[in-house]
Amino acid sequence: MPSVDKLVIALPKGRILDEAMPLVRGAGIEPEAEFDNPKTRLLRFATNHPHIDIIRVRSFDVATFVAFGAAHLGICGNDVLMEFDYPELYAPLDLGIGKCRLSVAEPADLAESDDPRRWSHVRIATKYPEVTRRHFAARGVQAECVKLNGAMELAPSLGLCSRIVDLVSTGSTLKANGLKEVEVLAEVTSRLIVNRAALKTRPDELTGWISSFRTACEARRAA
Amino acid sequence: MTDAPIRALLPAGLRDILPPDADHEAGVVGQLMAHFASQGYERVKPPLIEFEDTLLDGAGAATSGQTFRVMDPVSQRMMGLRADITPQVARLAATRLGGAPRPLRLSYSGQVLRVKGSQLRPERQFGQAGIELIGSATADADAEVVILAAESLHELGVPGVSVDLSLPTLVPALLTAFAVDDERLRAALDHKDVAVVAALGGAAASVLTALVGAAGPADRALTALDALDLPPQAAAERDRLATVVALIRAEAPDLVLTVDPVENRGFEYHAGVAFTLFTKGQGNEVGRGGRYLTSAGEPATGATLFMDTVLAAVPAAKPVRRCYVPMATPRAWSQALRTQGWVTVAGLETVADVVAEAKRLGCSHFLAAGSLVNVD
Repeated sequence: MPSVDKLVIALPKGRILDEAMPLVRGAGIEPEAEFDNPKTRLLRFATNHPHIDIIRVRSFDVATFVAFGAAHLGICGNDVLMEFDYPELYAPLDLGIGKCRLSVAEPADLAESDDPRRWSHVRIATKYPEVTRRHFAARGVQAECVKLNGAMELAPSLGLCSRIVDLVSTGSTLKANGLKEVEVLAEVTSRLIVNRAALKTRPDELTGWISSFRTACEARRAA
Repeated sequence: MTDAPIRALLPAGLRDILPPDADHEAGVVGQLMAHFASQGYERVKPPLIEFEDTLLDGAGAATSGQTFRVMDPVSQRMMGLRADITPQVARLAATRLGGAPRPLRLSYSGQVLRVKGSQLRPERQFGQAGIELIGSATADADAEVVILAAESLHELGVPGVSVDLSLPTLVPALLTAFAVDDERLRAALDHKDVAVVAALGGAAASVLTALVGAAGPADRALTALDALDLPPQAAAERDRLATVVALIRAEAPDLVLTVDPVENRGFEYHAGVAFTLFTKGQGNEVGRGGRYLTSAGEPATGATLFMDTVLAAVPAAKPVRRCYVPMATPRAWSQALRTQGWVTVAGLETVADVVAEAKRLGCSHFLAAGSLVNVD
């Protein structure tokens, strides 16, 4: 079924992009040369398929672009998916990249004396207020979240709050800031996400791309 | 004292619809209702508000969280403002029209109000237009409703209509059969998150991941579903779906059909084949429907179109031909124009520059001595 309609793929800036690009290329999508120029001011890139464009945005915005149908496919971590819980997003493929975990951390000395069973209320600095609130509510604890967009690790030492919820991969940033990981909220990997309406109205085309990505993932695992 | 800009502010999710959109909406609703009527669906008009316990009974229970409530000062009972019209029509069919011959074909249109909009579709008030087919449990009834809904959109000129068929009873039946019911698992199924489904699915993991993988174009999905070893009740549902797909294909071969066996959200009260209507290039669904039981336990199926998203998908209205009729023009002249399909705009004062006045009022022509004059 030849389709002339535009297909937009949203990719996250930063850390995950380096891991994601071999899969995107493995699926047969090659962005224009400007994509690899670190100084480029372009946000939207053409590819070797005339009807496919790639946009590069923050990982939280990948979910939003795809949920609203502005992009049709995207790659983002399940941390972002959990935070937004957009009903319009499907995550049919675990790409197995960007592995880390979403964890609660607190100052090492506090961790020794603390008894989480006695909490009724905690104050937490995080980029993930929704996930954090849900997680603690399920345990009967009211979480008052302070939304930060980065450098969460600074918050406890400066007295903003005593605990944080953040992504942890090696734990070295936590250690350097005197923090200890005390609880894992979720294991995180990146997913291929697809807009629900796009999958329903362009089923052959989009399931075709999903299986191309699946093949690329399997090839990567086998290598 | 309130400032004008603040007086213009409406509560979230509510809006004024202005010319020409309001007229366009009414016209589109009229076309839809005429299409439904032409196939034997007779129009009913339930009230905007009714007692909470009848509104939220049976099929209405799923809308409980979306319903505005208000105390009735007369009866001292709680009333609910409808968030969906289907439960009201089901109530009518079970009560006042209980004795009417079956199958009962009813249509309706009206406004609904919801407590919350979604981020993608923030509207809290919107129009619904729909049909209900009550008293038939056949696959032909399922197919009739899908075809009629899709056809009515096609007739409005909506391009690229596609129907996503689902079996909302399948997943709950499987989860019960395998005793793996879990909120996080259901959420993962809703998001087709295969990794989480595989991790939480337990004994059902393989069949559930296969179901998620089966979603897609109808023929391929049915083949994939056929290959699965399902418990007897789930297998019967699957066979029913295949029959419905075959019936739709026979009647409407060009309709794009997809099947999603795990789609469950918003189908809480459905008891059989259900469906969602999409149009190409529109992020939002334009309608949905499916099989349910009325409060009298009667089998029924229906379809509801959401007018806000339908209107976004319908081609823009043709501009009307407006003609300025200066003051003191004989009424017979303007009447003659109206019978030819013109809209006449009467001048209430004598003006020096008729051309400028006609332009100011959005008219392409004005009437001078009984004949039309173009303002350009």
